Amino acid sequence: MPGRALPVESVRLLSVDEEGRRLLGLRTRIAWQTIRSMLSFARLRLTLVILLSGMFWASLYGLFLEAFAFLDALHADVVSLLFNTFFSSLMVMLVFSTGILTYGGLYASTEARLLLTLPVRAEAIYSHKFHEAVWFSTWGFVLLGSPMLAAYGVERGSSWPYFVLLLPFMLAFAVIPATLGGIVCMALVAWLPKLRLHAVSLAVLAVCVTMGWVVWSIAVPVRADTMSAAWLERTFARLAVTEQKLLPSWWLSTGLIEAASAGRAGQHAAASVAEAVKFLALLIANGMLLHLLANRLAKAAYRRGYSLLAAEAPTRRQRRMGWFDQVLINAGSAAGRPLRLLLVKDLRLFRRDIAQWSQFLIFFGLLGLYFLNLRSFDYNNSYASMIGFLNLAVVGLILSTFTTRFVFPMISLEGRRFWILGLLPVQRDQIVWSKFLFSFIGGVVPCCGLVLLSDLMLGLSWWLVVVHELSCVVLCLGLSGIAVGLGARIPDLRETSPAKISSGFGGTLCLVLSSLFIMAVVIAAALPTHLFLLTPILGPALGGRARHVLTWAGGTGGTLTSLVFVMALGLATAAIPLTLGLRSFRRLEA
Amino acid sequence: MIEFDHVTRTYAAKTAVSDLSLAIPRGELFGLLGPNGAGKTTTIRMLVGLLRPTRGSVRVCGYDLVKDPRSAHLHIGYVPDEPCLYDKLTGREFLWFIADMFGMPRHLAGSRIDREIEHFELAEFADDLAESYSLGMKQRLVFAASLLHDPAVLILDEPMVGLDPRSVRIVKDLLRARTQEGMTIFMSTHTLAMAEEMADRVGIMVRGQLRFLGTVTELREQMALESQSLEQLYLEVTSPAGRNPPPPHPA
Repeated sequence: MPGRALPVESVRLLSVDEEGRRLLGLRTRIAWQTIRSMLSFARLRLTLVILLSGMFWASLYGLFLEAFAFLDALHADVVSLLFNTFFSSLMVMLVFSTGILTYGGLYASTEARLLLTLPVRAEAIYSHKFHEAVWFSTWGFVLLGSPMLAAYGVERGSSWPYFVLLLPFMLAFAVIPATLGGIVCMALVAWLPKLRLHAVSLAVLAVCVTMGWVVWSIAVPVRADTMSAAWLERTFARLAVTEQKLLPSWWLSTGLIEAASAGRAGQHAAASVAEAVKFLALLIANGMLLHLLANRLAKAAYRRGYSLLAAEAPTRRQRRMGWFDQVLINAGSAAGRPLRLLLVKDLRLFRRDIAQWSQFLIFFGLLGLYFLNLRSFDYNNSYASMIGFLNLAVVGLILSTFTTRFVFPMISLEGRRFWILGLLPVQRDQIVWSKFLFSFIGGVVPCCGLVLLSDLMLGLSWWLVVVHELSCVVLCLGLSGIAVGLGARIPDLRETSPAKISSGFGGTLCLVLSSLFIMAVVIAAALPTHLFLLTPILGPALGGRARHVLTWAGGTGGTLTSLVFVMALGLATAAIPLTLGLRSFRRLEA
Repeated sequence: MIEFDHVTRTYAAKTAVSDLSLAIPRGELFGLLGPNGAGKTTTIRMLVGLLRPTRGSVRVCGYDLVKDPRSAHLHIGYVPDEPCLYDKLTGREFLWFIADMFGMPRHLAGSRIDREIEHFELAEFADDLAESYSLGMKQRLVFAASLLHDPAVLILDEPMVGLDPRSVRIVKDLLRARTQEGMTIFMSTHTLAMAEEMADRVGIMVRGQLRFLGTVTELREQMALESQSLEQLYLEVTSPAGRNPPPPHPA
């Protein structure tokens, strides 16, 4: 009976507004402390993030400016279709990304566990974690979308209301799919807890199949008449499915186009702005309605869902890949057995960490899809060669993000378990070598496969394929050496989160060095090919000796020299950090 | 103050807590003992509202943890087995946040924060970020946070983990003083000496069932083992082949 409680004049239940304000205050304090910490201890990282984001933004802006100039000349309606396609695709991605982030925040975080034991409304906790999820899922959208929309406004000669309305439009739009993601997440956990993974997997599969079909139907059957009027007409007809007036993406696209047209419309400018504001209001109203529904759902289902998840019996691991592990352990000499055991342990951890293999699969899968579609476009030789090298660089850059995010922290994480490894009859060097082999073998197989696919699709000559494959092996070697060597040289033994380890000073240095190494390898490997392609153009204008040098550099001699340089660079890049790392790891005191 | 009414909690086919009925009155320090997997953590999670019973109900100060969790939480202080703090908040900021969430007036919150900082000797590091704290420092801060609002019920899950002997002494003295003032304490622990020294009554859980409920003296009497230590009695009760004391009766 409630009447039996002790007197509690000193405490009281907060109103909805008070709870919201206090949780917002908490977030503000945490954000402020995080910024202060970064300014004090992670200036390099902060500077790099700002610098690279600025460069990325400016590059995209320039690219979109060119693209809109071309499209404007082609047909104005194309822009509407492109906006609708872009924003509707983004809408689907935001539903998934916010749903997953909301799940992590509401059901798997220690903060949620703390808040659920305080006198706080379930809906207040939901709102608090939802804001966090929206922030993480929409910053990419703003970073990608803002240069595109700014370029569109500049190209269209739009007046200031368009630029003022840009950010409110983007945020109002992002809230709708994000809230939908949150609603789906809470509903799945509360009413289909056992089927949540199956439901999400099916939805992802359905989206992938749909997108795959759209891409395939646009790109593949009409290789011969790509970019012709008939091809464009067919493509527009297929993409028109995204122009549904009930979709928030249509409200956003139409509102932005209206706002942008205000600069050109003269006396109708005010009417265009009013029309744009109407669409903005529509987005805000729908976002608020959905947020209200989400709050109601949180009140009814959040605590229930949390309890259902907490009561789930742990799933027992099935040894599906046990035979493979055994084969790996027993293959080879007895002396190498500890190394292979360490390799198998890392392989098991990788298989059981969805975050690792799913990202690996998504990024390399998307790259594979892009490479598969390369043959839909006809390139002349110079373009094909350039695209081939750019693809090599992209493969290297994606691999470098994996080596930084997942391989670099491995030694630090082993350091935490050093009391186990320290007691085993395993040499410390073998621990470092096992990480290096794990990273190298895990990288070289998919990367070389992807580069080969790209080259075959581009129809490159066999010697260029050889150059690309050799460069790819060198990239994997060097990137693995940098990640493992630096990981052993500057481990962070206090931190348990691999994400935090990789985002620290060591991780940032690893990413920067990896990027510089990729640039050096690709430029060195690409130089002879492009000098060869330049010879017919520049050759006649050059003098005898200069022409001779150009011919040599673009010929077999130059190619072999560049390959030797690339391999030497790769070996040095792998050996130097590894040597430093091994030396440091041998001296490490747990 | 704490009532478990025929509470059962299942995990798929496994019953973690089976038909638990238990009432703990005001001012009692209750010690819950049991081997790993006995159902202690599940019981605590139901008591703080993180887990709902499959059957039965749990009430704190008369408030049902499922129907009215916020009112129940207003009367609860909770020290989990793993301290949860915000890395980017200082200890003092964390205490202010907790005081704010309990709706404490500013002047009262300020004086209570000073009081707990003094009790748990936090002054030296209260203005450092929590990310720099050791496990013991975190645990002391969580203790301070749980007592800020002078809760009617304090729930402790393995409270002495990570604490140094001096901190253990501080906590023990504090718990004793608070129970004398009328606070009810529910403590899950593996430290038998702590339970023997501090608890008014102990409950021994084995495979989801409360196999014994009473004082240590009663346990000795019921097992007819006058000279045995609590450790020997505990091992006797929790052993699969051991003798069972008579079934417990809720207080």
